[in-house]
Amino acid sequence: MQNKQEAADNFELWARLVQDIAETRGSNAKVELCANYFAQLAPSEVSLACQFMGEGAFSNISGKRASVGARTIGIAAADYCGIDYDIVFKACRTASGSSTETIQRLFENLPEARQKNTIQHWNLARISELAEELAQTRGRKDKQRILTRVWGGLSPLATKYFLRLLSQGSLRIGFESRSVLQALARSSQVDYEQLRYAHMLTGSLAKTAELACTNRLDQAQFKLFNPIAFMLAAPLHSRSVEHWRDFIAEEKFDGMRCQLHAHGPKVELFSRDLNAITNQFPELVELFGKKEFPPTVIDGEICVFRDQTIQPFQELQKRMGVKKPSKELMGKYPVVFIGYDLLYLDQKETVSQSLIQRRISLQKLAKKYEFPISKQHSVDSKNQVDQLFEQALAHGNEGLMLKEKNAPYSFGERKNHWLKVKRPSGSIDTVILYAQAGSGKRGGSYSDFTLGVSVKEDPRYEEEFIPIGKAYGGYTDQEWKDLNKAIKGCIIDRFGPTAQLRPEIVVELEFEAIQPNPRTKAKYTLRFPRFKAIRWDLSPKDVDSLEQVEMLFREHQSKERSPQKSSRSFLIPD
Amino acid sequence: MLKVKKARYHGIKLPELSLGLDYSDADVQHIFVSHAHADHIPRNRKSLREHTNLAIYATPPTAALMRLRGFKEDIIELPFFETLTTDRFTMTLYPAGHILGSAMAFVESGVGNILYTGDCKTPASPATEGFELPKDRQVDQLIIEATFGLPIYRWKSNEELQSNLVSFARKALDEGYTPIFLGYNLGKAQEMMHMLRGLPETKQIHGAGYPLCAVYEEYGIDLGPYERYNRASSEGCVLFTPNSGLESGFASHIKKKKIAYCSGWASHEARRTQTQAHALIALSDHLDYFELINLCEHLQPKRTYITHTPDPKVVLHELQQRGLDAVYLDMMHEELE
Repeated sequence: MQNKQEAADNFELWARLVQDIAETRGSNAKVELCANYFAQLAPSEVSLACQFMGEGAFSNISGKRASVGARTIGIAAADYCGIDYDIVFKACRTASGSSTETIQRLFENLPEARQKNTIQHWNLARISELAEELAQTRGRKDKQRILTRVWGGLSPLATKYFLRLLSQGSLRIGFESRSVLQALARSSQVDYEQLRYAHMLTGSLAKTAELACTNRLDQAQFKLFNPIAFMLAAPLHSRSVEHWRDFIAEEKFDGMRCQLHAHGPKVELFSRDLNAITNQFPELVELFGKKEFPPTVIDGEICVFRDQTIQPFQELQKRMGVKKPSKELMGKYPVVFIGYDLLYLDQKETVSQSLIQRRISLQKLAKKYEFPISKQHSVDSKNQVDQLFEQALAHGNEGLMLKEKNAPYSFGERKNHWLKVKRPSGSIDTVILYAQAGSGKRGGSYSDFTLGVSVKEDPRYEEEFIPIGKAYGGYTDQEWKDLNKAIKGCIIDRFGPTAQLRPEIVVELEFEAIQPNPRTKAKYTLRFPRFKAIRWDLSPKDVDSLEQVEMLFREHQSKERSPQKSSRSFLIPD
Repeated sequence: MLKVKKARYHGIKLPELSLGLDYSDADVQHIFVSHAHADHIPRNRKSLREHTNLAIYATPPTAALMRLRGFKEDIIELPFFETLTTDRFTMTLYPAGHILGSAMAFVESGVGNILYTGDCKTPASPATEGFELPKDRQVDQLIIEATFGLPIYRWKSNEELQSNLVSFARKALDEGYTPIFLGYNLGKAQEMMHMLRGLPETKQIHGAGYPLCAVYEEYGIDLGPYERYNRASSEGCVLFTPNSGLESGFASHIKKKKIAYCSGWASHEARRTQTQAHALIALSDHLDYFELINLCEHLQPKRTYITHTPDPKVVLHELQQRGLDAVYLDMMHEELE
């Protein structure tokens, strides 16, 4: 028997492997490292190793969360190594751009942390128990006590990854669940597609690994009321379409994606991130519950629908996140569920069928149970797509979806089987007022920018420019480098991670919508602001004024939304 | 105590002595240049030239490196440990351990003394004259750089870093890859060449760094066999270039290459994706946080001034906790007393 230190399922070994993967370039080499590691583990251990690698401390389908905030962790870590949280810890986190990396370094470097440390060589199962303990514990102080105990038994490197596990997010090593499955396919010598299919149906890497390691992949079964990953769309502008006839068009609704599971009186709703949102929309639950569906899963969209018109996304936002909404709220913002795909019906999954086949079943179902489904248009030219696009905008929708007729439902993947055609609602010329050091990939350099519009001639303001929004992206790596160079020459003052700049750099900012927001200086904020172009050719004199923003807002508000009468974006079978 | 003034990007001025430290304005009589990195060399050349009554001091290697990098004004060479005497102060230079020629200035006057470190490193970088402090002298005022003044920075020993460099290069070469080391043309490149001098493979260095190597050899730093970067013969050599070189086509024809990013900033994981390097080696020519605090504690100055720091609060907080008076020399610092 191997001793404790050398056991293959030692969490320290797992953490070192993860670090090796992070330090290896090229996805094939990463997959190989991981596959070699899996090959040393017992089947039961592979499950947990996979889950840790691709999902987090808990299985995605468990719905469990460790629920420890960054602040709780940061304060406990500062205490643990005897430094001041506000003065020292925050400065370190800003410099490194990562809270967990900061903690690793501090634990490596500070004697006070080092002497508290005795590596316990816990195995993966023990780590899972410790995370469970954290999830079960309420109260910041008690959670901090558990964290401190765990840190005392882990190396600083293992601590970093333990903390990343708790957030149920990415390990940030360029190795997502797809790569985990590839490694698993290699180590357990099964077909990758078969694994992916099992993963889609089980929704769990751990479960998939368990089935793969015990030759039971054929048992992978879809479970009603467990969400499966959504199929995603790629933007059209990045790929050209050669054969328009291979696609059908649907309007892209200004709502939220939703997966509806129904069986008899029971109904569950899941959001894009696979969280249950059932209790936010009781009227849909009641409506679909009454219809007594056979076991069914429908992919679709929730929209606010009033006066026969799809209302702006901003109205739906009043309903989002509100559990058990009041009658009044539901009356004011009535919602509709519009189905557009069928994933499961009568004990059979339908995802591997073509869109056409799925559509036929969906239409039959919609007719029988009377619920709205998207309207589909066949297309044969770019011209026609443009026309439909304008019509979709007239309905108040975001744009068009183009879906390939013969494609299966590729769950969890963003491929060019589905394309979205969108037009940004507008763009304005702004000037950078502040730059902030970012985190993650762009840690330690300026990557977040506060952009301003001109109020020079505006009697309501004393300033020359005031902030209108903050943008984190839309620029290329090269632009980002140039920007960082240019910023160095414009810094007037620094406040911690934030640099105040002389207004010099002009950015054309693209956004989805303008929203009134009385809490800001400008009284307006932009939805999804991002860089469209850095306008090195323009000077601050060319920056748009707040009055122009106000004008754009008024134009957008007064734009008529066509009701769903003569032309329709979805069908309610009669 | 002497008044210390920092004027934005123009460096530091001791107005009572009319002495500028890594200073760029012509409103002083004396300027000390601590080392030959661009951000320490006087920039305002035109006004310097017009100012006839101005003396610029640097160590002989620093002066040689400055001239090679295009500095045309007169430089008075002041060797290490020799004392310059003027009517208002004396100044002695001590090796700072940052790059070849880098010096700390110990300035003594009727109203007290100041040790100005410039950029420094202790234990010294192996491709320098070492690191030495004034002996048997209580330092009144210490002006010290804190580029890496956060406890997330702690460097490995020079020996360990050298073995990291060697094994990276060896492994790459043995697997048929060309190793490329990313680092500044002056200082970092020669330090790495010195650490890798034992490798039998030829080293090729970026054209801007090549002429500087001769100065290193002249002062007794062994760089092993090396030549100027030559696109045609570079494959299979050990290559040295600054980051910007890669963007402008350096080694772009070599398919099989392994890149190591060598800098104090390499201790940040984010640099991995930012630089596209295969390895990050935290090789710095600055003090780490712990070395910085230890040096201040060892010197016990009456007042410590911190410059070049990511967040001054951290070092100040630590020094104050240890009972040391410390202030941040920010862009507009001017002593009020």
